[in-house]
Amino acid sequence: MAESGLKISDLRVSVEGNEILKGIDLTVEAGKVHALMGPNGSGKSTLAFSLTGHPHYDVTAGRASLDGEDLLALASDKRARAGLFLSFQYPAAIPGVKVPNFLYAARQAVRPGELTPAKFRTLLLEKMDVLGMDPSFLGRYLNDGFSGGEKKRLEMLQLAVLAPKYAILDETDSGLDVDALKDVADTIIALRASNEGRDTGFLIITHYPRILQYITPDVVHVMIDGRIVKTGGADLAQRIESEGYDVLREETGALA
Amino acid sequence: MPDLLSAQERETELRAFARTRSGREKPGRYWKIDLETLETGANGSTGAAGRVEIEGASPRVIACDLETAARDHAELLARAFRRAIEPQHKFAHLALAHAGLGAFIYVCADCALDDPIVVRYRAAAGGTIFPYTVVLAERGAQVTIVERLDLESGAFVCGVAEVVTGENAEVTYASAQFAPPDARIVFTRAARPGRDARISWASAELGAQLSVSDLTVAIEQPGVDAKIAALFFPTGSQHVDIVSSVDHRSGDATSETLIKSAAAGRGQGRYLGNIRIAPHAQHSDASLRDDALLLSQTAHIDSVPALEIAANEVKAYHGATVGALDPESIFYMTSRGIERNEAERMIALGFFEPAIDRFPTESLREELRAALQAKVTA
Repeated sequence: MAESGLKISDLRVSVEGNEILKGIDLTVEAGKVHALMGPNGSGKSTLAFSLTGHPHYDVTAGRASLDGEDLLALASDKRARAGLFLSFQYPAAIPGVKVPNFLYAARQAVRPGELTPAKFRTLLLEKMDVLGMDPSFLGRYLNDGFSGGEKKRLEMLQLAVLAPKYAILDETDSGLDVDALKDVADTIIALRASNEGRDTGFLIITHYPRILQYITPDVVHVMIDGRIVKTGGADLAQRIESEGYDVLREETGALA
Repeated sequence: MPDLLSAQERETELRAFARTRSGREKPGRYWKIDLETLETGANGSTGAAGRVEIEGASPRVIACDLETAARDHAELLARAFRRAIEPQHKFAHLALAHAGLGAFIYVCADCALDDPIVVRYRAAAGGTIFPYTVVLAERGAQVTIVERLDLESGAFVCGVAEVVTGENAEVTYASAQFAPPDARIVFTRAARPGRDARISWASAELGAQLSVSDLTVAIEQPGVDAKIAALFFPTGSQHVDIVSSVDHRSGDATSETLIKSAAAGRGQGRYLGNIRIAPHAQHSDASLRDDALLLSQTAHIDSVPALEIAANEVKAYHGATVGALDPESIFYMTSRGIERNEAERMIALGFFEPAIDRFPTESLREELRAALQAKVTA
C-alpha cells in the first residue's frame, strides 16, 4: 500500500516573483482534522490554491502528494479526481450553469458512473436538507446572485456530494452567522460519520477559532509570514483565542 | 396572381431599395462584406425556388399563404401588411418588390393559442426567396410564432416579418436559422404593438455565411412591454450583423433587449443596439444588455449601443461586456474534477442560457443548445 496522507514538504510558492510560502511541511492523515490558523496575509489561502493547482501560483520548490500520488504533476481537474477538494472563500459565479447540472458533472468526474441522475437528485435533496437549503437552489445558476452565506452553503453541499479523500476549507466560517456556522459544522460532522467520508482528512483554514468549537481539531498549525511557526493540539486554538497572534509572533521570532 | 402589390408599387419599392442606405456602421477591421453593394440575386428565379408550410394552426385562427390572404382576407391583411416596417428598412423594400411567398396569421380577439404556429420557408439550392410573414393579433389575443428557414446550399433569403397587435395582445415571435455555411440571409422583423400589448422577438442566427438581421419595435401606445432577445455565434468565416431598435414614441412603456453573442475561428459579428426615447415619452423604462464572448484570436465582435434619450423622467439601463472565458470560472470548475474542455463548454453554453430562456418550447431550446454545443466544441 502506498503511503497515506496529504503530505506537503518544503513547499515554496511565489506569486508574480514574490515568495509567499517559504517552505511548508505539513501532513494531514486520513480521517484526521487539522486546523491551519494565522493572521491575514500569512499565506493560508496561497497554500490552498497551490495545492489545488491554481495557475496564478508558482510552486518553486518542494513536494505535495496525496496518498502517494504527486499532486504537483497533475492538472487541477486530475487533483480533484485523485480526491482533493477545496472549499473556496470566494467561489466564482457562473451564470447559465444550473447548480444540479454542475454538481452532477462534478460527481460523475470524481466518482464516475456510480449514480443515475434520479438517484443523484435524491442524494442532493438529502444533503441539502442537512444544510437547511431550500430545493429552489436547484433551479438557480451557480453562485449567481448568491449571498455570502448561500455561497458557503453551496461549497459545503459540494463537499457532502463529492465526499473527497482530503478537503481543504478556506475560511468557510468567515462572514457566517451562528446558524450558518452550525450548518457548515453539521455538514462536516455528517460527512465524517458517513461511510463515504469516514476517512476524509480535513485541513480547516481559519482566521478565528469559532468553527473549532463545533469540530475539535486533532492538530492545530499556526502560519505566520509563509511559515508554520507552531504546531500543537486543540488547546493551541484556545490560546490564540485568548492571546491573539502577536504573542505567538514574538514567542516564535517570526517577523512582523 | 392576386395583386399583393401593383407592378408600379414594386417598381417604387425597388427604387427605394436602391436609394436607402442600410444604416450599418462602416465595415469593421475584419468585416469583409459591404451591405450597400450586396449581390442580392434579385433577378434570379423566385417562384419555383421557395415554398411555405404552416404547421400547428388551429381552426380558431386564419393561417394561410400570403397570396390566399390577399385574395380572401384582403381587409384583415391590409391592417398589418406594410404597417410595421418603416422607410429606413432598406432590405424590406427589396422584399416588398418581390413579395409573393409568405404567410398570414390572424388571431381573433381574446383567442389564446397554447401551441406555437410554425412557419417554415424552404429554398432550393442556389435559389433566391423573399419570404414575408404578416401577423395580426386582435385585442387580448395570445399567440406564439416560430419561423424556420430550411435552406439548401447557396440559397439567398431576403425576408420580412411584421407583427401588428390590438390592445393587450401577446405575441412571441421566435426565429432560428441553422442554414448551410454558404447561404446568405437578410431579414427585417418589425412590430407595432397596441396599447398594453406584450411583444417578444427571439432570434437565433447560427448558420449561413452572412446573416443580417433587423429587429424593431415601435412603441406608440402606453403600457407596451417589448422584449428583444438575440443570440448569434459566427464560426469559421461566418459574418453576422444584427441591429435591434426600440423606439419609445409613447411613454409608460417598458422594453428589454438582451443580446448574447460568441465568435470563434474567423467569425465576425456586429451588433448595433438602438434605444430611442422621444421627448414626450415620459416614464419609459428601457434596458439593453449585450455580452460578447471571444473564443479565438481571429474572431471579432463589434458591439455598439446607441441610446438616444430625449425625455427626462425615464429609466434607461445599458450594460455590455466583451471578453474571453473567465479563467477563475474555469479554475473553479476544474477544481471540482471537471475537465478543462468540458468546463469551457459548460461555461460558454451557460453564457447563452439567459437568451435561450426567451425562446418558446423546450424542443426549440434543446435544438439551440445542441447547435451551440456543436459550435463550441468544433
